[in-house]
Amino acid sequence: MSAEDIYRLLLRAYPPDFRAEYGREMMLLFRDQCRESDVRTVGFWARVLYDVARSAPVLRVDAWHSGGIENTRTVEVIMKLDAMLTVLLGVFGIVNAVVEWVAGSKGAIDGRYVLAVVLAVFASVLLLGAGAAILLRRPQPARVALLASVVLFVAARLLFPWMSIFSQLVGFGLPVALLIALYWPRKASPLGAA
Amino acid sequence: MGAIVSEAREGAIVTKRQAGRPPEAFLPLPPATFHILLALADGELHGYAIMKGVAARSEGSVRLGPGTLYGSLKRLLEAGLVEEGAERADPERGDERRRYYRMTPLGLSVVRAEARRLDALVRAARRKKLIGERPA
Repeated sequence: MSAEDIYRLLLRAYPPDFRAEYGREMMLLFRDQCRESDVRTVGFWARVLYDVARSAPVLRVDAWHSGGIENTRTVEVIMKLDAMLTVLLGVFGIVNAVVEWVAGSKGAIDGRYVLAVVLAVFASVLLLGAGAAILLRRPQPARVALLASVVLFVAARLLFPWMSIFSQLVGFGLPVALLIALYWPRKASPLGAA
Repeated sequence: MGAIVSEAREGAIVTKRQAGRPPEAFLPLPPATFHILLALADGELHGYAIMKGVAARSEGSVRLGPGTLYGSLKRLLEAGLVEEGAERADPERGDERRRYYRMTPLGLSVVRAEARRLDALVRAARRKKLIGERPA
């Protein structure tokens, strides 16, 4: 396998549209580099791999962003569904905590348990609020509420280690996933970061 | 949701908005972009000539690989700072036809604005005696 064959494989890391537009030029440039460098050295391939690792993910993200209105609509629908799910889970979390409280209050009540239930109620209220904020198109309050919800939920989990796996997945996984979704599509620099 | 969606759309529509942008709106330029524009200040060049020019000017400290170079050129083309010239072979580099790139008037304004910005920073550093009056 020649150096050009290897580079042709590496080019697959780039978005198809970019490859179609610049793949030939990139191959030409790589060929020029091969003529003037020793392709058998580790340094040469380290530079090539660094270049691909540095530029391909950025161009992939650019390509995803420039997918246009269809991508945007998909994101909008997904966020709306997530927001409604968050509101429902917030309500469910509050009801669940109340039920827990009623069930737990029949025996001797441990102070840590009470605090865990209170924290879980607050975390659920925040989750509900975050869902409502996303629906009302207010990402900043949603981010704050989600972050606070995660913190409270982790505190509740530490105080009440018998929490079910499902509750942990929902209470921790959902806000974290939403936070990633709210933070990820950031405003891009017009000329990128390269 | 509008704010979220508008953030998601930003990447897609940013190039359409750039048509009426003042040069300062593009600043600060990423280092690779500034080097590419500096190279194109000499005139129309193909990719390899840009790469060699950047490496020579930076004394080897900036080495643009094909991905970084063409990724930056793509953005510069979309932003209207660079345009494509006629495709032709470089007699020094064989018969293969190559794309040539040249700076637009907007690109020239932007690279000048960036140079002024960097110059102001260097002057501020001199006033603070962080560097000497003359380059070493």
